Amino acid sequence: MSGPEYPGSPAELPGVRVDECTMGVVEIIARPGRAGELVEIARGRGIELPTFGRIAYSSDRLALCVRPDRWLLLLAPPAPAASGPDRVDWWESAAQAGAAVDQSSAWATLLLAGPRSREVLARGCRLDLDPLLFPVGLAAATIMAQVPVILAAVPSGLLLLTSASTARHFREWLAAAAKPFGLMPQSIISVADLCRSESG
Amino acid sequence: MLRIPCPWCGLRDEIEFRYRGDATAIRPAGDGGVDAFFSYVYERDNRRDWHLEWWLHTGGCRRLLEIERHTLTHEIRSVRDSAEALSARPAAAR
Amino acid sequence: MRGPARIVGGWGVDATRSVQFSFDGRRMQGFSGDTLASALLANGVRLVGRSFKYHRPRGIVTAGPDEPCALVDVIGAHGREPNQLATTLALFQGLATESQNRRPSLRVDVLAINNLMARFLPAGFYYKTFMAPGWAWERVYEPLIRRAAGLGRLDAIVPAHATPAESVHDHADVLVVGAGAAGLAAAQVLGATGLRVLLADQDTVLGGGTLLDARWTRWRESVCAQLARTAAVRRLPGTTVSGAYGHGVYAAIQTLDPAESAAFGGMRERLRVIRARRVLFANGAHERLIAFPGNDRPGVMLAGAALAYLRRYGVAVGRRPAFFLNNDEAYESVYALTAAGICCAGVIDSRPRSLAADRARDMGIEVHAGAVVEKVYGRHEVRGLGWAARAGGQRHKLEADCLLMSGGYSPATALASQLGAALRWEESIAGFVPELSPDLGQAAGAARGHCGLAAAAHDGRAAARVIAAQLDCAVRVAGADADAEAELPPDPEATPISALWEVRCRGKAFVDLQNDVTAEDVRLASREGYEHVEHMKRYTTHGMGTDQGRSGGLVGSAVLAEARGMPLATVGLSRPRPYSQPVPLAALAGGETGQHFKPKRRLPLHDWHESAGATFVPVGLWLRPLVYARQGGWEPVLAEAGNVRRAVGITDVSTLGKIDVQGPDAARFLDFIYANTFSTLPVGRARYGIMLREDGMLLDDGTTSRLGPQHFLVTTTTANSAAVLEHMEFHLQATCPQFDVVLTDVSEHWAQFAVAGPRAREVVAAVVSAADLCADAFPFMAVAEARIGGIAGRVFRISFSGELAYELAVPARAARAAWVALLEAGKPCGIRPYGLDALNTLRIEKGHVTGAELNGNTSAGDLGFQRLLKRNGDFIGRTLAGRPGLAAPDRLQLVGLRPVDPAGRLRNGTQLIDASERGASLGYVTSSTPAVALDGWVGLALLARGRQRIGTRLLATSPIHDEHTEVEILSPHMLDPENQRVRS
Ligand SMILES: [Zn+2]
Repeated sequence: MSGPEYPGSPAELPGVRVDECTMGVVEIIARPGRAGELVEIARGRGIELPTFGRIAYSSDRLALCVRPDRWLLLLAPPAPAASGPDRVDWWESAAQAGAAVDQSSAWATLLLAGPRSREVLARGCRLDLDPLLFPVGLAAATIMAQVPVILAAVPSGLLLLTSASTARHFREWLAAAAKPFGLMPQSIISVADLCRSESG
Repeated sequence: MLRIPCPWCGLRDEIEFRYRGDATAIRPAGDGGVDAFFSYVYERDNRRDWHLEWWLHTGGCRRLLEIERHTLTHEIRSVRDSAEALSARPAAAR
Repeated sequence: MRGPARIVGGWGVDATRSVQFSFDGRRMQGFSGDTLASALLANGVRLVGRSFKYHRPRGIVTAGPDEPCALVDVIGAHGREPNQLATTLALFQGLATESQNRRPSLRVDVLAINNLMARFLPAGFYYKTFMAPGWAWERVYEPLIRRAAGLGRLDAIVPAHATPAESVHDHADVLVVGAGAAGLAAAQVLGATGLRVLLADQDTVLGGGTLLDARWTRWRESVCAQLARTAAVRRLPGTTVSGAYGHGVYAAIQTLDPAESAAFGGMRERLRVIRARRVLFANGAHERLIAFPGNDRPGVMLAGAALAYLRRYGVAVGRRPAFFLNNDEAYESVYALTAAGICCAGVIDSRPRSLAADRARDMGIEVHAGAVVEKVYGRHEVRGLGWAARAGGQRHKLEADCLLMSGGYSPATALASQLGAALRWEESIAGFVPELSPDLGQAAGAARGHCGLAAAAHDGRAAARVIAAQLDCAVRVAGADADAEAELPPDPEATPISALWEVRCRGKAFVDLQNDVTAEDVRLASREGYEHVEHMKRYTTHGMGTDQGRSGGLVGSAVLAEARGMPLATVGLSRPRPYSQPVPLAALAGGETGQHFKPKRRLPLHDWHESAGATFVPVGLWLRPLVYARQGGWEPVLAEAGNVRRAVGITDVSTLGKIDVQGPDAARFLDFIYANTFSTLPVGRARYGIMLREDGMLLDDGTTSRLGPQHFLVTTTTANSAAVLEHMEFHLQATCPQFDVVLTDVSEHWAQFAVAGPRAREVVAAVVSAADLCADAFPFMAVAEARIGGIAGRVFRISFSGELAYELAVPARAARAAWVALLEAGKPCGIRPYGLDALNTLRIEKGHVTGAELNGNTSAGDLGFQRLLKRNGDFIGRTLAGRPGLAAPDRLQLVGLRPVDPAGRLRNGTQLIDASERGASLGYVTSSTPAVALDGWVGLALLARGRQRIGTRLLATSPIHDEHTEVEILSPHMLDPENQRVRS
């Protein structure tokens, strides 16, 4: 990481923000050997499914790929009554090529932003977060604070997906790690907010 | 500590992986009999040498990897996805 | 005047800022920038501790982290912290310290009698003496040893997590260990390539040896300024690399400076886990002691330490120093002290002649060449020494107030050795140098035996170029490089070292000052058969102290080599392991303490359960409601369970593992994974299943539902959810990759509740729409998609309690709405939530198994599942489950049991024995509970020939509780064996 050296006093520390995102999540899985087909069908419907280790986003949704032939599609949060494949309107035509599973409740989503957010994450993230090596557009699955975390560099900061059951544990850990860097109060943001450039 | 170059995720710490045993042990056909299964489950050479192992990348891509590791030095010589590893084996060994 | 004192201002201290501190209650004053050791010396304090074994008086020996003797207790707000190195402890206002290992005081130590008893305390003394009788160990020996031995006290160690700690992950192309001439020069070259460099040095100021030579100031400052401008080079002063673990992983402890410590809430140390493609060891060399009688007297120090105290802190370690040395480099201290106006008592040089000695004589210093020190005068401090020609002859007395020794320099090889580097004997420096595989990195400068700063800087550059070439990075500024080289101050011409390890005379000559190991101890070890250097180390404890024997390690090996009549190159050094420096446990724990020690998994309804008054119990990582009451005891549990048997209850089973299985081969895959058949399961039905390990033992159980022709939902037990998913993923990728199936873990998405009891249908019918729940339309083991309180979810008619029951699944975010709707709908029926204890009571009565019975040692036959094993087709565990031993009748089999006396109790883990024979254990109780539908207590047990024993009586015995209860063995199906309730 090429973050700045630690400056002398807390007053000099620029803030770090941790925001919570509410969104729907659909896990899309290609059947063995059908990934190309699935990607084409999705593309025909205007949804870009990225290659492994990358994200693809439009104004109101974001897809990421951290497992071969599998994607997480982040969308606006579902209505409580909705469930299953009807979350993806183009799905019927793609069903032969794979499966779509609603995971909206499975993930808690945080956005870490601020010039020193990568330094904060280095307290628990074993990946090399040098901006040159992990620039906007990349995603990875790893372990932080002893729990699985999906990490993606989005235009607005670092997106962190953690299992719903460990979300509080992870949030508390992140808050403790970020505290010396000047943690700012959190707000609730949307998928669209992820895809805007970081304002600083 | 091992660092394992996952063909999908890149170089990752051992903590992200789960060891899944000897990759040279091939499961016998279902009617292979007790002796074949006994050997498959229990009999290991425990050699001081290069060794093929299965590691599941549970903390990353969740793919099963075939890793060639030296049991003395822990050096890792090759890593490939299980699909690639199995397709490279003779049909009889699959 | 005698003794040490401050004579000038050194570059490292700020004489305008005085700092108050105390040592053993005595208040003193030092300067900002002092270490405790330099401040003590500036105040004339020389005696700072008592030694480990003989309680001999000891003083300060070094000026850095190699210090063997000057260990102190620091008394802080949180208590006493022992074993702090005075030589690295930065002085701060109000620092309170105490000496260690003395009783009652430093000057009068009663245990110094050990010194007189020395011939009864040889190496291996503890092994030899405290052998028998066995009873004496706890009562006599251990208390005695604990009182007499050890360094410091751990009485009021810092309360839990008083100081924050953290670990940080770092990545670099090249880790440069040490920022002396070699390290700085290497970082300069590497920085010009654009490679990412981490430059770590244990000192708070970068520069290493160049800090003590004014000719190097300009070069050092210019390089440091250049590095500060190079973004790809990160400098980490105050950071000690203490472990090398292979695969490019290194551990370093960073000591925070006061400002950063304040920003991080008082944190003192930080663990850095560094991952680097290459390492460059430029961590210098350790000056060696010489083993001669009295070499541990306060005032006997390493010559290099005297130079550091003078130049850095302005402290003269004595007013009349004498020197005992065997190399030219150590003369730097002679010249420096003389130039500072200190009158040198004389130099004893073991070599017949040397260039450095000639220069000293030119300065008017008396040099006794070809001579050795045989004796040190003075008890608590040096008063003089006796020297004689090396060849023997008359002993001469020399008055001196300190004796500065130097036996040469040993390259710091510990980290390289941890990486498996071989050590090569290098005669020209009388030391071992590391031979590191180039794939791992390089060693450079003094760490590779290059004496002299200019030589080290050249070597550092060369090593950096090798690494840059390996990493495919051209060194772009070759021209500028050449200019920089021209500026290097030249190294003086030197006469080579001549090895000198020991002066054999009467008296104790120490090879390890911290652990009180003498040269004679090493010879004794050799005589008694502990000849290998590793055996000698463990027998004598040589090199096992916090200083890892850095100043005397090679000396011990040399004494051993001589005793064995072998070359030192063959005897070698003992192999060091991490950590090469003491590391606080708090730093290793990092941030994973207190609430962050272990992740906690919380249910979607955690807050509801909490507000309903639940007591939580950790189950694996989960926090689950045990009972909805704050008080203990069985009463609230039985009330909850009784309500299920009588009316209806609701419980949160969201912790179950849930795996979505889809694809044309989904049914075939499950037939292979499970011991029973799922391909015959109709859509809209669930089936109980068991899965085996390949060795034939049970792995897990649970219900699997068929949601569509190619779509199944598997549930696993809470405890095995991760293991079962891995098991399936492994087999899908390794043993049956031909199956066209995709697996998705949906455990976290779905919340799931069980509604159980005779009135369950009324409750479920009130909230579930679009499903006919009547017994015929929705029989036992039926499954359907439905809306639950308006939320899209699933209804399963399955039962763990033995009652009419439904399990309802909704997305976790809607869990609260669905749960509250069910509670509302159930009000007229008397619905109550029930916790894990009640759940357990209900399932034990019914004879259902959980982890206590699925314990990895039980087979399908043991638990009565033999009929579930399918006859046809391959499945995991099929062949080995058929081994005769797994079906042997004398195996432990699942049974139920209850006390014969209705007032009797059961206890998990009690052994079952035959009362008439009082013989060996026949089995044990796995689960037990007071019953609600039955009378008294009931339990489950694993019992040899259990099914044959149904109807007989045994004794459940727990000798440690003195409980012996006569029990009746029952079928495990104690309640409703015909399953009428669940089918009602
Ligand atoms: Zn991976």
